[in-house]
Amino acid sequence: MTAPTAAPVTARRAKKSRAVTDQVPAHLYGLRRGTSAVLTILAALFAVFILAPLVWLLINATKSQAEIYTSFGFWFAGPFRLWQNVAGLGQDISGAGVFIQWFGNTLLYAVSGAVGATILSALAGYGFSRYRFRGGNAMFFLVMATLLVPLTSIALPLFLVYSKVGLVNSVWGMILPSMVSPIGIYLMRTYLDASVPKELIEAARIDGASELGIFVRIALPLSVPGLMTVLLISIVAIWNNYFLPLIIFSKNNLYPLTVGLSALSKAAETGTKAELLPVLITGGLVTVLPLIVLFLLLERYFRGGMLQGSVTG
Amino acid sequence: MLMLALFMLVPTIYAIWSSLFTTKIIGGRQFAGLANYVTVFESGEFWSGVIRVLIFGAIQVPVTLALAFLFAALFDAGVIRGSRFFRTVYFMPFAVPGVVASVMWSFLLLPNFGPYAQFVKQLGFGNVNFFSSSLILPTIMLIVIWEWTGYNMTILYTSLKAIPKEVTEAAIVEGASLWRIILRIKLPMVMPSIVMLVFLNAVGALQLFTEPSILAAFQPQAVSFGFTPSLFVYNTAVGSGQYELGAAAAIVLALIIGALSVAGFAVRRRNGEFR
Repeated sequence: MTAPTAAPVTARRAKKSRAVTDQVPAHLYGLRRGTSAVLTILAALFAVFILAPLVWLLINATKSQAEIYTSFGFWFAGPFRLWQNVAGLGQDISGAGVFIQWFGNTLLYAVSGAVGATILSALAGYGFSRYRFRGGNAMFFLVMATLLVPLTSIALPLFLVYSKVGLVNSVWGMILPSMVSPIGIYLMRTYLDASVPKELIEAARIDGASELGIFVRIALPLSVPGLMTVLLISIVAIWNNYFLPLIIFSKNNLYPLTVGLSALSKAAETGTKAELLPVLITGGLVTVLPLIVLFLLLERYFRGGMLQGSVTG
Repeated sequence: MLMLALFMLVPTIYAIWSSLFTTKIIGGRQFAGLANYVTVFESGEFWSGVIRVLIFGAIQVPVTLALAFLFAALFDAGVIRGSRFFRTVYFMPFAVPGVVASVMWSFLLLPNFGPYAQFVKQLGFGNVNFFSSSLILPTIMLIVIWEWTGYNMTILYTSLKAIPKEVTEAAIVEGASLWRIILRIKLPMVMPSIVMLVFLNAVGALQLFTEPSILAAFQPQAVSFGFTPSLFVYNTAVGSGQYELGAAAAIVLALIIGALSVAGFAVRRRNGEFR
């Protein structure tokens, strides 16, 4: 292990300024004048490809069921019904379940699961990073190996175990496995290796601090950005998880948003007369918005995780 | 570690154990040995799903990575104005659950009604049904590329930024063109990241589930029982209640993915890229 020289926080700051000063000026590439414009248009076209569905979602959340089918998809039509549609999310239409309840469930699963994942990852990462114990490397390798195990192959066996221990249709059945995050353990280990100087911990030991005290008072405060990254990545992963809740929940009052919306889309297509489409589309919008806002506000933490993820290669 | 063991290892072992049994209406649960595996191996449905996701991955993964690398390299070189804005936009689908993405795209491509279907019609291609059995796979590829290009681009961009400026400067002094610098100098330098991304994307492609399962709600005839191996597992276990058979199929799928990963690692190790 190399000596920890610069904490990633300062490294990231330095990186930001480097992006401005240290970049090779674009004109040195000697591109023809038109090329840069063509490339920018190309990037803009791809941005349109990415944004169009989201814009469509936003616009159609303001329409009634009939207008969704009859009016042009990329422009507003008829009376502005966004608020009525949002209000519709609080009702149980044709027995599929109540959207607001799913929203609450998702919030509960994502927040408690992600907090748990962060705490456990910090503990496990600290353990792997600071203590050399027999079989430590083998165990870490095992953690990494579980990254490659497909979720599909885990979810069904989990269900089979749950049905033995009574965790089917239990909130804990969703939250507990969400707390296990191999990628979180990996990120925390890398982060702690880089940002908590060994000398500091030695010094604290000599001063008579307890092991727990060292972890809580020294290691945790120094690794806040790393913790944030793990927390955010976990929230997104749990929020978007579909397969696990689909398998373990059969009561629709326990569904998270993803499974609820999929149930809605099935109900919407099997031809009930009820106005399900506005609920489906507005519900999709409400599902996506919190994460996009979270991402735009805390983008640098997401990218922090990407950076460390890329070091794996 | 205990949690990891509890939620990863125990279920796996239990799944292997239970895949050896069979439940019958009369007689209850019986030890069946490898009979479930024989059923899985002899199931044409399961293997056609495996082949389908292999084809899917063989096209989707290179296209996604090529797009991701192209834009990452252009943004890195700074030849595109407003690259910060574009990078943020491209990454946004990462925050969109696969379920919502599939629902949106289903409406956009809906025959006769969807704006994209109408657009294609105006271009003179007639009424294209994006959910017909011949087009359903490309349609799912389109959705998955929409979802994951930005994520891959972000990782590649970060790797490209780590290349020292001096390397690029030296190449410019030598008179290399932008394209030459990107393809001959920078691409080889970020190869380890690309290899890792090929893995992640390929494992994801083999597990393809969310998108086809949502599209099945819109177009049930286009997505069959065993369209992908994951769908086969789900439909067998939950749909038909044959949990043991589903567990056996899940294990076969895990073994296929595991074998591909090990093969990949072996190639990397031979190339000296793996620690």
